[in-house]
Amino acid sequence: MSRWRYFARRVVLSVPVLFFGITVVFLLIYAGPIDPVSAILGQQYTPSAAARIRRNLGLNQPLWQRYIGFMMDVATGNLGQSWVIKPGQPAFQVIWNFAPRTIWLGFWSVLIAIFIGIPLGFYAGLNPNTGGDYLASFGGIVWRAMPNFWLAVILVSLLSQSEQIARVIGLQFSWSSWLVTTDVVTPPNLRFFSDPLGAIRSPQQWWIIPGSDGSFLAALKQIIPAAVVLGSASMGNEMRIGRTAVLETINSKYVETAKAKGLSSRVIVWKHVFRNALIPLVPIITGEAFLLLGGSVLVEYVFAINGIGWLFFQAVRQGDLPLAGALMVLFIIVLVSINILQDLLYTIIDPRVGYDRE
Amino acid sequence: MLEQRHTASGEDSRTLWQRIRNEPRPAVLWLAGLVGLLLLEAGAIIHFSLQILSAVVTAGLGDGQLSIIANAVTASDQIPTLLSRETIPNQGYWNGQRWVGTFLGLSPAVSWATRATLIYLYSFGLLWWLWRGYRIYRDRYRQADWTPRDDQIDRFANHTWGKFGLFVVISFLIMALFAPALGPTTFVQNIQDPYEHQIQYFNDETSTVESVSVGQANLDASSRGNPDQNVGIMSYDRYDRFHPVGTMPLGVDLLTFLAYGARVSLFIGLSSIALAGFIATALGLITAYYKGAADLITVVTSDSVQALPVIMLAILFVVVFQDTAIAEFYSGAVLLVILFALVYWPYLWRSIRGPALQVVEKDWVDAAESFGQAPRAIMQKHMLPYIVGYLLVYGSMSIGSIIISVAGLSYLGIGISAPMPEWGRAVSAGQPYVASVSWHITFIPGFLITLVVTGLNAFGDGIRDAIDPQSETSSGTEEEVTTGGTGA
Repeated sequence: MSRWRYFARRVVLSVPVLFFGITVVFLLIYAGPIDPVSAILGQQYTPSAAARIRRNLGLNQPLWQRYIGFMMDVATGNLGQSWVIKPGQPAFQVIWNFAPRTIWLGFWSVLIAIFIGIPLGFYAGLNPNTGGDYLASFGGIVWRAMPNFWLAVILVSLLSQSEQIARVIGLQFSWSSWLVTTDVVTPPNLRFFSDPLGAIRSPQQWWIIPGSDGSFLAALKQIIPAAVVLGSASMGNEMRIGRTAVLETINSKYVETAKAKGLSSRVIVWKHVFRNALIPLVPIITGEAFLLLGGSVLVEYVFAINGIGWLFFQAVRQGDLPLAGALMVLFIIVLVSINILQDLLYTIIDPRVGYDRE
Repeated sequence: MLEQRHTASGEDSRTLWQRIRNEPRPAVLWLAGLVGLLLLEAGAIIHFSLQILSAVVTAGLGDGQLSIIANAVTASDQIPTLLSRETIPNQGYWNGQRWVGTFLGLSPAVSWATRATLIYLYSFGLLWWLWRGYRIYRDRYRQADWTPRDDQIDRFANHTWGKFGLFVVISFLIMALFAPALGPTTFVQNIQDPYEHQIQYFNDETSTVESVSVGQANLDASSRGNPDQNVGIMSYDRYDRFHPVGTMPLGVDLLTFLAYGARVSLFIGLSSIALAGFIATALGLITAYYKGAADLITVVTSDSVQALPVIMLAILFVVVFQDTAIAEFYSGAVLLVILFALVYWPYLWRSIRGPALQVVEKDWVDAAESFGQAPRAIMQKHMLPYIVGYLLVYGSMSIGSIIISVAGLSYLGIGISAPMPEWGRAVSAGQPYVASVSWHITFIPGFLITLVVTGLNAFGDGIRDAIDPQSETSSGTEEEVTTGGTGA
């Protein structure tokens, strides 16, 4: 099977995957034991309001008709509307308003994990069985096993009390007034992004000093603790895989050949070891998306960042099931797209794909 | 050991029973030791079996048929048991001169420590005895000199990291299994109905012994972050109750809470992985044997399940099913078991698919087919034994993810309903007090989760290296993805 046929097959196979996921969401919300209408109305249940919502959601139709309608809506990009959190607003609009903070969080957690995890793993792999290797490996294992929400809780408390803690060890330090003044548990203010030209026009306001629109530095400082927590599992994974990959490449025949040719160890590491060791890291990095989407609920909850994970939890808790369903559908679409992206990367990076993988 | 064998290898056609009769001493000694060890805990074992029996009978016949069994359960409480709070009580009071009501008049702390140490010594002793039994069987009575399984077991026995994992996992199992005896107090008394139980204490002002309800005593023993209101690690409260790892904000003993929480975590982790493992094994054997359409359908289904965000699905699932009958079993744990079994089987199936596809290519499968063995028998006899080990590897790693997920859900206040203890709820309860004197409430449960998950991963690593010594040099990519956790 050629590489591109392999890729095409993966894309075709993702259609039933999407179909299945969206069906599960539909069944949970509209055919499950909980009535979406009474969930939406909660305490304010009146028969007339219920009848109105019932009509609006199309709940008077038989299940199969609703199912077809739901699938058609998803296919045409209509995710329904919110009923409790932002009554009457289209779900897509609501998600769009909450998404930037999650994207900001996800971006930094991926970046931090990559820039700490991979170098550490490569360092451990290039210096196997040294003290540094053991420290890095053991640290990675424990770091990976820590529950995110617990790490977040501890970090929030330490940062909120940083002034008192620093005083105990005789230092003058306060996280909230360090560099720029920010609160520990508030969502980052990302309004500065709506004025991208400000980065050049008034760089100081845009990059550093937070005004009413916030600044890059302030937003970064607010997101860093959450991003470190959210990236923790991936960081550990990347470290472990990076280490194994380097060890494996370094012991392979072509590296031996390169050594025999008399190449300097610098060239060997950068040209031969590094590039090949990156291949097994691709699924780890794309796989982070799963961890990020799942973890965002808990991490955003602890850090009080009102992103889409937080929105999802609020939607479920307050009975806004149509909105929660819309979010789930969106997550599934994102995850499947990332899987396709991963296959595309594989196809491009690794010429052996399609030969040894099925 | 080989020179001690009385039989020539390979030529031995006697049954196990004959071999034991030929050389009875080691077997009899070992059996006597086992019976002795079990007798120490006879009360607990009988009580436990009768409780299971009564649960089965209740499920089968309904209530009303139970008086005999119920009486038997009550009667079995009278059988002395070494490791119980009746034999080694730690609840007492200081009457000015000496401790009253505790074990041998020792302090509550020492009494509790004695009981906890004995529990761990006993359990590890019992396991060591079972291991010894296996060695005796293998060295003296087994027909075969050597089996491939021996090498795997020996490799594991030399794997320090894996043994560390096994040690942690067993300690966690003991904590869950002996929860009623391990905590300084019990779930019913301290957490479920604190106002219906009384304890006696010595009132210093009136110099008399008075009694107080546990609920009231708990309120006076709460840990709320300031030095006046805190019962920390290894300390007594004002009613002379000892708290090995302190109390929670409402005065509940943290160790009791954690021990029962370990039970819930263990139950959910083990049952869901057992269920998922069953599905995965059945599908793994079938897809490897028949390939083709069966394989394709399973690939697509498992891809579909894996594309669902686990934590979010769990939140939605639990909320949607919260008012149904199934959510009432074991405070919602059964519901979570179903969910995690349905979500985790694809990960296990992926992990055994490769080995299963390799095994089916072996000559012995071909041979079995050619003399007409049924597919079902081929799968069970000639394929299953080679993939069980892999199941153990990924199963133990997945249990870690499940424990974290369940804790994450209960941190959010869903999943396991109060008052049933769950570690995540302790993290949440202690959240306002992390950077204060009451840091133990949040720190210790999280530390335990980290420890148990690390132990499960180490155990999995050890088994993998034992069954597949080449795995260290081959790429470990796939499995890392499958055990990447849920992000909780």
